[in-house]
Amino acid sequence: MTALIKLENVTKHYGSFQALSGINLEVSEGEVVCVIGPSGSGKSTMIRCINLLEQYDPSGKILVDDILVQKGKNLKNVRAEVGMVFQSFNLFPHLTILRNVMLAPMKAKGLSASAAEKIAKDLLVKVGISEQADKYPAHLSGGQQQRVAIARALAMEPKALLFDEPTSALDPEMVGEVLDVIKNLATSGVTMIVVTHEMGFARQVADRVIFMDGGQIVEQGSPIEIFDAPKEVRTQNFLKAVLNH
Amino acid sequence: MTDKKGKILNPACFTVLKIALFFFIWPFISVAQDADEPIIVGANIGNVPWEFQDTDGTFIGFEVDLVVEIGKRLNREVDIINIPFNGLFAAVQSGRIDMAISSIGITDKRLESVSFTQPYYDSDQSLTTIKGGGISSLEDLRGEIVAVDTGSTGDMWATENQDKYGFTEIRRYEGLAPAMLDVVIGRVKGYISDIPALLYYTKDKPNLEVVERIPTGGRYALMLGKNSAIATEVNDTISALKQEGFVNDIHAKWFGALAEDTTSTVRVVPMPTANEGLIFDFVETFLNMEVFIQTYPMLIAGLITTIQLGLLAIVAGLAFGLFLALSRLYAPKAAQLIAKAYIDIFRSIPLLVLLIIIFYALPFVGLSFSPFNAAAVALTLVSGAYTAEIFRAGIEAIPKGQFEASDALGLSYKDTMVEIILPQAIKIVIPPLTNNCINVIKDTALASVVAMPDLLKQATQAQAVAANPTPLIAAAVIYLMFLLPLVLWVSRLEVKFKRESR
Repeated sequence: MTALIKLENVTKHYGSFQALSGINLEVSEGEVVCVIGPSGSGKSTMIRCINLLEQYDPSGKILVDDILVQKGKNLKNVRAEVGMVFQSFNLFPHLTILRNVMLAPMKAKGLSASAAEKIAKDLLVKVGISEQADKYPAHLSGGQQQRVAIARALAMEPKALLFDEPTSALDPEMVGEVLDVIKNLATSGVTMIVVTHEMGFARQVADRVIFMDGGQIVEQGSPIEIFDAPKEVRTQNFLKAVLNH
Repeated sequence: MTDKKGKILNPACFTVLKIALFFFIWPFISVAQDADEPIIVGANIGNVPWEFQDTDGTFIGFEVDLVVEIGKRLNREVDIINIPFNGLFAAVQSGRIDMAISSIGITDKRLESVSFTQPYYDSDQSLTTIKGGGISSLEDLRGEIVAVDTGSTGDMWATENQDKYGFTEIRRYEGLAPAMLDVVIGRVKGYISDIPALLYYTKDKPNLEVVERIPTGGRYALMLGKNSAIATEVNDTISALKQEGFVNDIHAKWFGALAEDTTSTVRVVPMPTANEGLIFDFVETFLNMEVFIQTYPMLIAGLITTIQLGLLAIVAGLAFGLFLALSRLYAPKAAQLIAKAYIDIFRSIPLLVLLIIIFYALPFVGLSFSPFNAAAVALTLVSGAYTAEIFRAGIEAIPKGQFEASDALGLSYKDTMVEIILPQAIKIVIPPLTNNCINVIKDTALASVVAMPDLLKQATQAQAVAANPTPLIAAAVIYLMFLLPLVLWVSRLEVKFKRESR
């Protein structure tokens, strides 16, 4: 398997605060990686560096499909290959659901409106929102909005998807519908990195689980290795805290 | 109002103020005369040698000497306040001042709505131009622009004779100083005004000369309100002062020679009277239908100019403001700082000051604008700065997640702005932008000082020509008619958006 996403010695400082220190990570094509860890451990920062929503320190290096992730002309290509789903959905409130999904294929890929509409409609069926296509985001529930956001990311036909705590802003009864959509995607062969607090979900869909703390990858392995037999004390303490309540 | 710095600035501000006074203060002014109260005299300070300031700021001049002496004889104090020429008529009519001086000529038209004492000076109009400028008589002004004082005798003469002499345009200024400045700059070829003032003004200015006397037979007198209680005693005092030779003495003091015995400076003549006894009341004075119908076309012409100027400045200001806002937010550091400095400076500088700099100062570095263009440039420069801040606030109000979502999808900067950010920002900025538009339209009135015939200018000219303040009231109503709906619309939008954002 070839590495689609490669992080080499990635470090990130906010002023004097070190958010990431020396991250090395390779994610293969088709692989589903779940990232767990306490708040402030650098999980979100790490995936936001992959599409350069955050600029990492110049000592490190991130490659997506062998393209160096940096400011400039190639960034557009990186972002076309890596979709992102945010904790707070970030749908465009002034556009209908359909236009939200159509926009990027038209503007970033130059597809015609009719081609973009076809893609968008198919995707809305896939995430189960097709009846809401002409509504505005404000008229949808959180779970529906997040499913639209997933469709919007998929509309660019990316090789990889980054999920930044996709269910953390949802009411509990809506978490399931969103996780179901992501589970379906996981079986469709899209490369995914999912930052999540849903341990059951991670155990079920992940090919690999990464535990982060203090801006470092503390431990990684298969779901069974991490959840059933964590080696590191920090991993053990974290899992004890989140699972036993 | 009497500071020297304010000389050029005063007229427009004052005219605006004057309109306000009509509405709010006039009804409360007592017209009863009290012998202990000073006599309030309005004067267009700067009108040499009749009333102007010496280096200490003291008011001096022929007419100042005259009214001070009259006050002495009547045992009353005299307070002189500075009012531009075209504001004097309304001021005596409303009772704000007791008398007006400013080499005001007696005309039948004026006698319909004000009174005059007997005249004390016989005068004519004159043409003043730059020496060696190729203009030696009125005939040379065919196809040229001439300057006059708004609503003056010179204005009326030039308006009547515009076709005869073929002036392309009559440009109306708020006093001698700005008009002469434009003669020197060369934007106007000649200035038509009272001959004594110009002879006096040009005598120590070798680059200017009075090239032609225009016989109009003007006679200057003190102007008073129609029902002035002091008119008769003031007139009698002038008779006495003439007989004593006092009036001719001040003639000699200011003009260097005694007046001839046949002139009204020496001879006692009767007080002029109106042709027919007209009834004067509030409606007749301020809401005069006849005057309104007569001056209506002038007001409409002014309204069109105001709208053209307002729209141009609003559209140009919007485009410029958006450019500034984007530069301020996203340009390289240096350009950001320049944009910020520009915005701060142009929000701080008073529009009137900028307007005067652009119109009267830039010609000296080779940049000469027409009144319309100068006003459009000044309004756009200032409106752009305000608009930029409104856009910036609008863009900054858009959540960061919108930018991130757009970035993550691979949209270009341009698409992010055009498709995502600006459509959302527009909604936020429409109410403050509309407020800014209202301000721009109101500020067009300041263009009066650069001789631009906007609504206010036309109204002040019309009220001076008709010697009746009705056109000013009409102008106020016209401003209200198209600004009030905008104001109400903004309020409704604000309420609507507030409800929607809940």
